[in-house]
Amino acid sequence: MKYFATIEDQNFEIEISSDRELIADGVRLSVDFQSVMGRPVYSLLLNGRSYEAYVYPTESGMEVLLQGDLHQVDIEDERQRRLRKASTSVKVQSGEFQLKAPMPGLVISVPIEEGQGIEEGQNLIVLESMKMQNELKSPCTGTVTRIRVKTGDSVEKNEVLVILG
Amino acid sequence: MFKKVLIANRGEIAVRIIRACHELGLSTVAVYSEADRPALHVRYADEAYLLGPSAARESYLRADKLIDIAKRTNAGAIHPGYGFLAEREDFALAVQDAGLNFIGPRPSAIAAMGDKAVARATVTAAGVPVVPGTEGEGNLCDDELIAIAPKIGFPLLIKATAGGGGKGMREVNDPKDLPGLITAARREAESAFGDDNVYLEKLIVDARHIEFQILADDHGNVIHLGERECSLQRRHQKLLEESPSTFLDDEMRMRMGELACTAARSVDYLNAGTIEFLVDKEKNFYFLEMNTRLQVEHPVTELVTGLDIVTEQIRIARGRKLRYAQEDVHLNGWAIECRINAEDPYNQFLPSTGLLTQVIPPTGPGVRVDTGVYSGFEISPYYDSLISKLIVWGETRGAAILRMRRALEEYRITGVKTNIPFHQNIMDSHRFIAGNYDTRFVEERFSMDEAQEGKEAEAHIAAIMAVLVAHRQTQEASQIVRRGERDASNWKWVGRWERMQR
Repeated sequence: MKYFATIEDQNFEIEISSDRELIADGVRLSVDFQSVMGRPVYSLLLNGRSYEAYVYPTESGMEVLLQGDLHQVDIEDERQRRLRKASTSVKVQSGEFQLKAPMPGLVISVPIEEGQGIEEGQNLIVLESMKMQNELKSPCTGTVTRIRVKTGDSVEKNEVLVILG
Repeated sequence: MFKKVLIANRGEIAVRIIRACHELGLSTVAVYSEADRPALHVRYADEAYLLGPSAARESYLRADKLIDIAKRTNAGAIHPGYGFLAEREDFALAVQDAGLNFIGPRPSAIAAMGDKAVARATVTAAGVPVVPGTEGEGNLCDDELIAIAPKIGFPLLIKATAGGGGKGMREVNDPKDLPGLITAARREAESAFGDDNVYLEKLIVDARHIEFQILADDHGNVIHLGERECSLQRRHQKLLEESPSTFLDDEMRMRMGELACTAARSVDYLNAGTIEFLVDKEKNFYFLEMNTRLQVEHPVTELVTGLDIVTEQIRIARGRKLRYAQEDVHLNGWAIECRINAEDPYNQFLPSTGLLTQVIPPTGPGVRVDTGVYSGFEISPYYDSLISKLIVWGETRGAAILRMRRALEEYRITGVKTNIPFHQNIMDSHRFIAGNYDTRFVEERFSMDEAQEGKEAEAHIAAIMAVLVAHRQTQEASQIVRRGERDASNWKWVGRWERMQR
């Protein structure tokens, strides 16, 4: 799968060819990528070079804290890029709702599936935070286009949990 | 002589004091608020008692309850740590009146140094220079202030007598602006504090904040343990301290140290204390204030002198004579401390609260971490944002900086945002490396976004990691949908297959 990443004005084309390999701007690299302390700390061995970073999901991609520097990375996959290019005048984001974690916590349950129709007020995620279980409800009707967490995940504040189309 | 100590504090400093007590063979009593039941100081102490609800006012500031618990548990002494009741004369007095030992100075010294005007007058009489100004001369009218101003010299500051937080403060560079700025400062002070009195103080340009640790016993001995450079501050909050200071030579260290001891003697000081000085770029120095307690940054002094300041505090409180004379104190190598706070350096240093999901502190040669928290502990909004103090020692300042960089990169904390990236940027800053910084450096000449060498290579790695995480999320999410596709085990499939074949 091919992805397009942007950091400020720098563009990167990264293709994930297998679990063990990726192609970054045309260069083939061997990859060993693991979450080492549960999210958000990840360890990367890239052609034998070892890196570690905090990676936090954001609205348009990821925030990467690497060696004391924070990088805002915008990410698109091929499909999203095609859609955006095909409809340059229309915003792709319109009509989309992103459910974000209102506080850091632990995902207790995800009672929905991708592709499922959602009624207004329907429970999307149960999140435990400060020893309380909170039902995060949908403010609109729609369809689940993306679920970005699973039961047992701990999430950061403002992390995108579910996207409704 | 006391054998049990009650620690009237929380967090890393309570843990620090408990450690010293246990090393001396003394037993310990911890106190805690409702939020702190799982805290490390409660777990490490021999006994622990609940003070009350989480707000400090209802727990750690309840002098009556603290003294009551000390009496009930037969603790012979109370160590106040820093903050909370540490610099309250009335508390020290109440402890003594209850027949307990206060591990700190006499109440009279706390009172003398706590009142700025009295402190200035006392140390001036003892021959210690103070920042020239009119504080402590009573409330002067505009004409009197304007008459005195040339003697103080320009630039100078107009400060509110009741002030704090920069309210009612004005910088005056040109004598002809003075009358107008006094009026403006008075107006602002009146609306902020309901008191329009102001005083003048010489503005120390490019000031450094350098303090001296002193120890005084009950037998008339006062020594100093060298200096700490504390100029790296943000909004008057210290963020990083080092010892020694690049700014002092041996001659100046001796002179300032002697004056620090003189200032301590002038209030008949007992136990550990700190004399803070402002030093200008011509190396003139002025007494700023005395902190009549253990300081947050005491470990840098411990690492370069080899002394254990908390142990010495307890020995002094037990009436022992100091084991060291001034000539026994030598500064060996270099120590740096970074205060690791739950603050987001990328978002105006806003405090970050929440559950610490993981903590992996740095270890290895020359590294010390003083902390009161651990994985699974919750950083609550009730207290300060200090997670830990990371202190390193190196043979030289350069070695200490390299070691601090290494330690900061090892430190992993998840669950809350921390200021570790800020410290990493400081360690890479050319001005810091050159030792060329003053109290305004962080606010005026430092930025987290400053371009640095080697950033492009890093961005490339950041992009790869971001994409790998995004890819993984997409895959994990799609697995949730696909789960159940093949809910039966392989053996069942074989069984079904065989039945079909019959």
